[in-house]
Amino acid sequence: MVEANNKILLDWDALEVGETFEKYEYVLTQEMIDTYRKGVMDPDAGFPTISHKVDVKQYNAKYTDSGSVNARCAFYCYGPPVAGKKITVRAWITDKYLRRGKNYIVTEAVSVDEDGRLIDRVITHELKQPSEVGKKWGG
Amino acid sequence: MGGLNRDYQIDGEIPPLVKEMTQEAINLFEGSSGESGPSQFTDETTAREVLGTEGTVASGRMSLTFAIELLRKYFGADIFNHSGMVDLRFLRPVRPGDTITFSGKISGITREANGSKVSVNITAQNQKGDTTGVGQGSAIVPNAYLPPED
Repeated sequence: MVEANNKILLDWDALEVGETFEKYEYVLTQEMIDTYRKGVMDPDAGFPTISHKVDVKQYNAKYTDSGSVNARCAFYCYGPPVAGKKITVRAWITDKYLRRGKNYIVTEAVSVDEDGRLIDRVITHELKQPSEVGKKWGG
Repeated sequence: MGGLNRDYQIDGEIPPLVKEMTQEAINLFEGSSGESGPSQFTDETTAREVLGTEGTVASGRMSLTFAIELLRKYFGADIFNHSGMVDLRFLRPVRPGDTITFSGKISGITREANGSKVSVNITAQNQKGDTTGVGQGSAIVPNAYLPPED
């Protein structure tokens, strides 16, 4: 089903593991790095790419759903990105599973800079019933 | 910050990391990617609608970042930034005003081709003692950073 904003309403059952999204490119600026480091209170934080949520960016550009909550995330460090470099991200659906009646989607993404340097890899498990957070943990 | 020479031991504890969560920090984290729209992390109304919570929560990715900082400071940036990883499960929401303590204990040391893989069990707890996250991390420590074998 295609929504008015041209996004596809997520049909979890129909979602195919292995679906690969269009590549996503952005330029990492020094301002992004500085803001990230202030936010995480760590002047030496090396991977501002974490806050860009690139693993789900293209999923969110294609699909619409009722939102999500990050249930688990794995991050592999290969080399800190450099300000001013264009970063290319390739992301795909790496798994989906049902646990305790709740639907999860696992996305994976690899970031590489314009010089071909491998930056990082991130694997995220998202719970697709975000209201469960309020039900479980309350206000 | 370079790699640190250490004698790694199973069950060895690594120095904890304490973070005071504020809404300002959450806003900076979310805004650092250029995103400026309201979200469950930055806007109470959106959090109520999407999550059913009274207030905002911090992205799990912030906890992930802190776990990475915990291990980077322990192993040294030269090592961790090029061979490190963290895999964290988020068990409870982290909210503005929370104080989160990240701690770790060495769970395994295995030989690799170019050094030793040192694995760490990671726990994050809030000021009430509730566990907000658990997981594992590791880094490949090059032989040059390890004590000479007998």
